[in-house]
Amino acid sequence: MTISFPHVGSFTYVFESIVQEMNRKDVIVPTKPTYKTKQLGSRHASEFVCTPFKIMLGSFIEVVERGAYELIGTVFVDYCRLGYYTPLYKIILEDMGYDFDMIYLDFSKPIEFFKNMKTLTNGLNYLQAFQAFRVGYIKNRHIDLVDRYLYSYGAVEISKGTTRAVAEKAYRLIVETRGMSNIRKLPKIIKKMFEEGVEIDKTANPLKVAIIGELYAVVEPAINLDVMRRLNELGVIAYTPITFTRWIDFGMKAKTRLNPFKKEHFQTAVKKAKPYLEYRLGGKAQESIGDTIWYKELGWDGVVHLYPFTCMPEIISRSILPQISKDYNMPALSLVVDEHTGEAGFQTRLEAFVDLLERKRE
Amino acid sequence: MKKVGIPRALIYYKFSEMWKTFFKELGAEVVISPETTKKIKADSVVAAPDEDCYSTKLYFGHTMALKNKVDYLFIPRFGGSHKTFVGCPKFIGLAEVLRSLFPDLPEMIMPHYNRAKEGDSKVNFLTKAYKIGLKFTKNPFRIIGAIRKALRVQKDYYRSLIIDEETLHKWERSEILLNDPPFINNYDRQLKIALVGHSYVLNDPYSSMNIRLILQEHGVDLITSEQMPRNLIDKQLSKFDYELYFDYEREILGTIMHFIESKTVDGIIHLMVFSCGPDSIAGEIAARVSKRDPAIPLLQLVFDELTAETGLKTRIEAFIDMLRRSEAEQVIFLSTKVRI
Repeated sequence: MTISFPHVGSFTYVFESIVQEMNRKDVIVPTKPTYKTKQLGSRHASEFVCTPFKIMLGSFIEVVERGAYELIGTVFVDYCRLGYYTPLYKIILEDMGYDFDMIYLDFSKPIEFFKNMKTLTNGLNYLQAFQAFRVGYIKNRHIDLVDRYLYSYGAVEISKGTTRAVAEKAYRLIVETRGMSNIRKLPKIIKKMFEEGVEIDKTANPLKVAIIGELYAVVEPAINLDVMRRLNELGVIAYTPITFTRWIDFGMKAKTRLNPFKKEHFQTAVKKAKPYLEYRLGGKAQESIGDTIWYKELGWDGVVHLYPFTCMPEIISRSILPQISKDYNMPALSLVVDEHTGEAGFQTRLEAFVDLLERKRE
Repeated sequence: MKKVGIPRALIYYKFSEMWKTFFKELGAEVVISPETTKKIKADSVVAAPDEDCYSTKLYFGHTMALKNKVDYLFIPRFGGSHKTFVGCPKFIGLAEVLRSLFPDLPEMIMPHYNRAKEGDSKVNFLTKAYKIGLKFTKNPFRIIGAIRKALRVQKDYYRSLIIDEETLHKWERSEILLNDPPFINNYDRQLKIALVGHSYVLNDPYSSMNIRLILQEHGVDLITSEQMPRNLIDKQLSKFDYELYFDYEREILGTIMHFIESKTVDGIIHLMVFSCGPDSIAGEIAARVSKRDPAIPLLQLVFDELTAETGLKTRIEAFIDMLRRSEAEQVIFLSTKVRI
């Protein structure tokens, strides 16, 4: 009964640590999606389904081939297709003749969610199962922190590649750290690792660009051709507010957290988007608009808006984004990504965008 | 008299009766954009964002056709009327996208109604309708009367559109006709086909390339997915571990699954719209369900602004020829030869 899950950017480390906390040794960790994964997914998926579906399907097929039996997938009701991915994966994988067991985790029903999660654990009780999940979401914050350092230090590092090496070490450290008291100390350790491990150019005055858009397109380097690393190479600090925190962090979530004065990132963003897009319509449509306004107010130089081809909510926000960009004088670059996106064209557009930002600053 | 424009696209085909009655009762003049033409299509391709689905693009063309003729544009932000299932996100965003892309459009009336996610109750619905009414008349009784009449008309429309199970069985036994009678031809047997798709494709002759007429000419007796009894659809979809949650997509997938299971039609034609989100999921499921039980042939046609009529006709003709050839193998209908 080997457990596995599809590859979802650096969130894979969180999955890995949750499974580890669930006291299970039989886990297959998915590898980073390659060109082959994309091909595999697009071959078996329908023609105009969105790209995350295809890549995650490819990832599923790869782990099943490697011998995984229990597959974890999420389901929920939303305007987006994402909530219905897993049932369709099940049908496709069944048709392909694989032997597996698909487990649905429904985020919108916390009680059922933990019941299902408990059955996955290796003989833990409810409290321990929740504790395992809690470790997961706390580690998720640290992973976000590493991502933040990685794409900030990466812009000003002197010898190329040192930041990434440190970050890889930090990811592994986070996954391997056990025990809540040790996990609590991690942020300080990570900060020190980056401060000592990376030599930075202190005279540099880098541009700052926020990456916004659809969740999967932002967090998965395989689909967005590692846009944040590319920006770093052009000497630009990149940061994304779009992470999994909103979905899994029960300590921060509006409905479950204890501190009523704290606000989630998306709440502020949605509030700012109201004059342009009043009601929620799935995906990150409102946040994309709200973040553009917010990052302008914070003094950032520009935003890069990423979304997969045929993504329904993001097409709406992409149609409104030019108006926001004009109203607030905030450069915004909308990039649509799919499995056919060419590297050269992507790079050229990013370079042109960065040139534009530099000229605007002068 | 104030003029209210309603674009003839998307959910107009679901709620047209209600909207028309409501505004007429309020004393406004209702202007509905003309049926889709080549010019409207050309306008839409220019005006709409390039990644929207074909039907959404047509909405832009219809809005452009109304632009200079009306005082108000009625573009509701509709999120779904079922208590758990949702509609397409495009319906909610349309009005705001139009406002952002074309700031010179006439004033928009864009009420928001979403029962599933925002939990809008009946009271909310009435308040929102009342607020719209205030734009046209100050008389509260007139507004309430208009709302009541509009709701009644819509209810009657649904009642006349959606058939019950008994009628469906009668149709399946070839005792009655549900749609326009097929043209008389020399074939000895009436073919029965389920035509499945969104209401805004089925009822728009231009965007569906007149498929209903083509089928009629071939002597095909039709049933559309709009007409199917809702309880049968729910029964079919509860077979999945997790129910499909797109409200209008459910009737499409449910109809396909029902006929694949009951085997009471000769073939199923599924009209899909290119880059429609829910269609990509339901179409894939339908294809796989049909593959597992291949007795009833399923033809999936994808429409977009580049679809050519000739190619489509050829495919439909080939499909019908195939159905006629496999006639001998069909046992159920051999005894029921119907001539009209």
